Amino acid sequence: MTDTPDRRERLLNLLAALLESRQGLTRDEIVTNVSLGYPPAPESARKAFERDKASLRAMGVPVREENRDNEFRYRVDPNEYYLPDLELAEGELEALHVAVTAIGLGAGDGEGAGAGALMKLGGLEGTGGMPVAELPLVDALAPLFDASRRRAAVEFEYRGRSRRIEPWGLTSKFGRWYVVGQDLGSGEMRVFRADRIAGDVVATEPDAFTVPADFLADAYLADQPWEYGGGAAIPVWIRIDAGHETELAGQVNADTPIVREEDGSVVVELSVVNLDGLRSFVLGYLDHAEVLSPPEARAVVIDWLTAIAGDTP
Amino acid sequence: MSPRREAEGDLQRVLAMVPWLGNHRGATKAEIAARFGIPLDQLERDLALIMMVGVPPYSPGDYIDIDYEGDTVDVSFAPYFTRPLRLTAAEGLALLAAGRALLAVPGSDEHGPLATALDKLEAVLGVSEVVVDFAAPDHLGAVRDAAEHGTRIEVEYWSAGRDALTTRRIDPGPPFFALGEWYTDAYDHLRGESRMFRVDRIRSVRATDETFPAVPAGAPNAVYNPRADDQRVTLELPASASWIAEDLPAESVEELPGGGQRVVLAVSETAWLERLLLRAGPEARVVDPPELVDVGPAAARRLLVRYQVA
Repeated sequence: MTDTPDRRERLLNLLAALLESRQGLTRDEIVTNVSLGYPPAPESARKAFERDKASLRAMGVPVREENRDNEFRYRVDPNEYYLPDLELAEGELEALHVAVTAIGLGAGDGEGAGAGALMKLGGLEGTGGMPVAELPLVDALAPLFDASRRRAAVEFEYRGRSRRIEPWGLTSKFGRWYVVGQDLGSGEMRVFRADRIAGDVVATEPDAFTVPADFLADAYLADQPWEYGGGAAIPVWIRIDAGHETELAGQVNADTPIVREEDGSVVVELSVVNLDGLRSFVLGYLDHAEVLSPPEARAVVIDWLTAIAGDTP
Repeated sequence: MSPRREAEGDLQRVLAMVPWLGNHRGATKAEIAARFGIPLDQLERDLALIMMVGVPPYSPGDYIDIDYEGDTVDVSFAPYFTRPLRLTAAEGLALLAAGRALLAVPGSDEHGPLATALDKLEAVLGVSEVVVDFAAPDHLGAVRDAAEHGTRIEVEYWSAGRDALTTRRIDPGPPFFALGEWYTDAYDHLRGESRMFRVDRIRSVRATDETFPAVPAGAPNAVYNPRADDQRVTLELPASASWIAEDLPAESVEELPGGGQRVVLAVSETAWLERLLLRAGPEARVVDPPELVDVGPAAARRLLVRYQVA
């Protein structure tokens, strides 16, 4: 499999011929066209053509294959091939270049894909930007994005179970990527961490669902570990020692009731759905925080610590 | 990259270049090379390739008419490849993800050219549901301003590893987001060396009247640089604590029968290890080194004192 300049030339000429043909071309018509330069031996020519077709498709070229009068005809529909003009102003192209250089999307699909997209939109305008954030894309995201865009349901393996969902949107929070959608098994809205999706994402028929206009992908992600899951919220009071309360600001919502005591410590009232999440949060303060009440929330921490402490003090 | 992928990359570039050249007749070779991110000799090869492309019946008018003898390039006739190829899913996602992410960085212009560009892109791609949220720690803006203006700042910083609050003067670099947190690579006058600070652990910022030469941002150093003398700790973890290997840069991860894992981590501070073990729970244990086996149980007993049950 050599990739001589000849093969690039052949691929470009093949693509041009497929784009120009209204009726489509048969494989024989293609491989016997001397201007395309396929090998003379029929078997080699067939293999070379199959490889070229696969290469074009891998690049995203929509090569159509139509069976007409028991003969396959190949063509590329210009309407499917050509990118509509986005009419981007120079400043907009420059801003996209800054974004692609400032946000690290990882070594996989990320970086090269962003630059490749810019080429199609008119090249690298301006000088780009300084690195600001790392938000690596994982393999499952491009097929999920594509399915979401085409409104196709998808199937994938997640935590050992096969799931079927309508992917309504993608969202990134805390540096991780999630897909949010309607679970076709349970009929409920669910959130899946993209890096925990195992294997391939298989899309089914397009235009299978609609997404409500007021849908917000990030609204389905709980902000805090103690908010995860369903069920009723209960109020829980925790004390955080003086000098450690400043960390709270980034961790609780702005409207969380916080009362400062005389000794400088603070008592925080949290609305808790998930007691395990609360436990992890409080243990992050080590011995500088304590669950005060209710007793069942206190018991969750005490039982956990007792089990860790073991029998022999 | 395999030769095949390389060939496809070349073709993608050429297919993007032809329509651009048709719309920008007489552009200089230097400008084209910069715009498409390639050296001049690669541009010459690309142009030679473009000249070889024609369609049946391959008469002179069926080839792209291109003149690139001097310093400029003039495509006067391109009967096909008049527009670029549509974006692939990976390309569309990369643009939207990067664009939405940069817009979500606190302080970005929500109505500027990036926002309008993304709106146009979404209109064509038919999506609007890529949403990026970053945390916005209290002092992110103050640190960024200090980095930009070269203002030395005095900060109260909480070290999670040692569970201690210290006051120090730092020369902060531009903040950046990685592994879910905002960091600044700053020169620390307390220790006399550069180190990474987590912005959410900065408890207060006070500008001093001292300045430093603000460095233009380059690629930030790695967020996680285990020191050679950091202790290596081997943990056995239940399946419920798989987040440790997912979220932390483990030096090795070995799957155990029953869904658990054996993980080796570099540990520089005991408080950090305590926090990890208390969150991971009773089924998590240190297996090596022997002197750290009791770190988790000892921390649990210490906390139980506070709950008055030990």
